[in-house]
Amino acid sequence: MMEGSGAAVTANGLTKYYDSLLAVDHITFEIAHGEIFGFLGPNGAGKTSTIRMLMNLIRPSEGSAAILGMDTVRDSLAVKAQVGIVPEVSNIFPELSTLNNLTFTGALYGMGRRNRMARASELIDLFDLAEHQHRKAVELSMGLRRRLAIAMSIMHRPRIIFLDEPTSGLDVSSARAIRDTVRELNGEGVTFFLTTHNMDEANQLCRRIAVINRGRLIAVDTPERLKQAAAESQVVEAVFDRELEPAEVEELSGLEGCSQLLPEAGKYRMRTSDPARILQGLYPFMHRSGIKPVSINTLGPSLEDVFIRLTEGGKEAAGDG
Amino acid sequence: MDSEVFEAREPALLDGLRKAWAIAGKDMRIYYLQPAVLIFGLVFPIAIFFAFMIGRDVQTASLFPGLIALTLFFSTTTVAPFSVPWERMNRTFERLLFAPVSLPMAVLGKVISAFLFGLAVSLVPLVLGLLFFGSHIQDYGALVLGIILGNLCLANMGMLISTVRADTPPKVMMVLNVVRLPLMFMSGIFLAIPTLPYWGRVIAWFSPVSYATDLLYKGLGFQDYFGIVISVLMLLAFTVVMYVASVLRMRTWNR
Ligand SMILES: Nc1ncnc2c1ncn2[C@@H]1O[C@H](COP(=O)(O)OP(=O)(O)OP(=O)(O)O)[C@@H](O)[C@H]1O
Ligand SMILES: [Mg+2]
Repeated sequence: MMEGSGAAVTANGLTKYYDSLLAVDHITFEIAHGEIFGFLGPNGAGKTSTIRMLMNLIRPSEGSAAILGMDTVRDSLAVKAQVGIVPEVSNIFPELSTLNNLTFTGALYGMGRRNRMARASELIDLFDLAEHQHRKAVELSMGLRRRLAIAMSIMHRPRIIFLDEPTSGLDVSSARAIRDTVRELNGEGVTFFLTTHNMDEANQLCRRIAVINRGRLIAVDTPERLKQAAAESQVVEAVFDRELEPAEVEELSGLEGCSQLLPEAGKYRMRTSDPARILQGLYPFMHRSGIKPVSINTLGPSLEDVFIRLTEGGKEAAGDG
Repeated sequence: MDSEVFEAREPALLDGLRKAWAIAGKDMRIYYLQPAVLIFGLVFPIAIFFAFMIGRDVQTASLFPGLIALTLFFSTTTVAPFSVPWERMNRTFERLLFAPVSLPMAVLGKVISAFLFGLAVSLVPLVLGLLFFGSHIQDYGALVLGIILGNLCLANMGMLISTVRADTPPKVMMVLNVVRLPLMFMSGIFLAIPTLPYWGRVIAWFSPVSYATDLLYKGLGFQDYFGIVISVLMLLAFTVVMYVASVLRMRTWNR
């Protein structure tokens, strides 16, 4: 009904103080319908606090937020009916079985008995939980618990889902399965707000990424544009057939176009904005010193570089002030 | 316009009650058979009672109002102080608030589960008394009111106690017993209120348990002290105050 106009989520100067600690500092952003919005930041940046404010689990100290056009504080119950959440710390009922966790969740959303039984068995199939459906949740492995938590979050077919570090602590295939689920649901029109430390994940999934540090939003953009902004942090990485002498290291770091040399476990990483220029100088260098290359790679700017650049910038700025 | 508001409100309340009932059902499933709940709610009051009463020269039937009151008191107040801190520790209490469930309804759900537990447990000494120990019901109204309103009131008391600032179930249980033990002696459980000395009768006014006990004495054909009307009104007043206080206390948790 409100699909065409307005945003799925709007935060307006959202701020949270825990006593005197400023955890979230006047953040403002909008998430479009059907978007996967990534919230990227180091530990303690304020990601979880932001989600908790949006869910009205804690009160904002200042500012406001709207979800599907409804105020998150005033219309809290109406908002919650449309929103699903998978929290950072698992909070499924340990004493209830997989099936009962799902049906009880359905009851909390006011679903009738037949409806919630049907939906629960649908999700048990979808999430491949059939053989665990009568086991108590406390007995499930971490990966299974996370799957169950996600299943519980979509029991009521929410239009917006908050995922707080959905893949942290999971093995590669469980994490991928969760990303696939996110993509599938997103294909059906569900909007996602997802926090993560995992750059790769943000890069793969998110249309836009907000970088938050020390409670402040320091960038909101597409992964590509964020990476462009860090173009100077491309890297040429060389591995040679022997360890370099100090004088050779010196020479290598003086190659034209190399802004920084980072030797690391037998690898020599040269930071640059122009990998081709480095390569031009690298071959004569190896020839002169009689070294053979084992491998030479150029690495584009990763989101990680962007992230480190942005968040370290934040630290410096804070240190100066 | 007015009728629209009215129509919109009616289903919202029903919806809330349904969710409260779901929460109560979940609590019954999880907590009724927990050892701590059974020990503090069932074994404890019976043991205490007999520890105090054995060897005293009184008619057995006259013990039963007090025994029922004590079982009711202990069983009903045990459930929430066990389940609420446990669920806070597991963060499962918060899961109730992920859903469109208002805090008053979440609290009501927990109160209902405690109420039903106390109800079931307090019927045990009643039935035993009636069948084997010569108790007989003199005033059905007083008895039913005593059991129902007493349980309801004390379920809310348990709820309020469960909101203390303590992070683990054992700590909350300790607070619970610190509150319960003095109340046990203030409430006419071991000696009917009319037989208490003057100061004992004065103190009894301050304990919600007194009113439940008094109704039970009356119901089982013994002399009461407050009279049905005062007891009922006091139980209702305590219930409302403690319920509202519980909700307000919980509101402050996540500020
Ligand atoms: N309930 C609370 N009381 C006091 N301080 C808190 C509370 N919750 C969070 N904080 C503080 O607020 C800041 C932001 O915390 P938050 O949990 O939002 O960060 P985060 O970005 O989710 O971190 P992480 O990546 O480690 O999950 C931190 O400094 C944290 O210590
Ligand atoms: Mg967090």
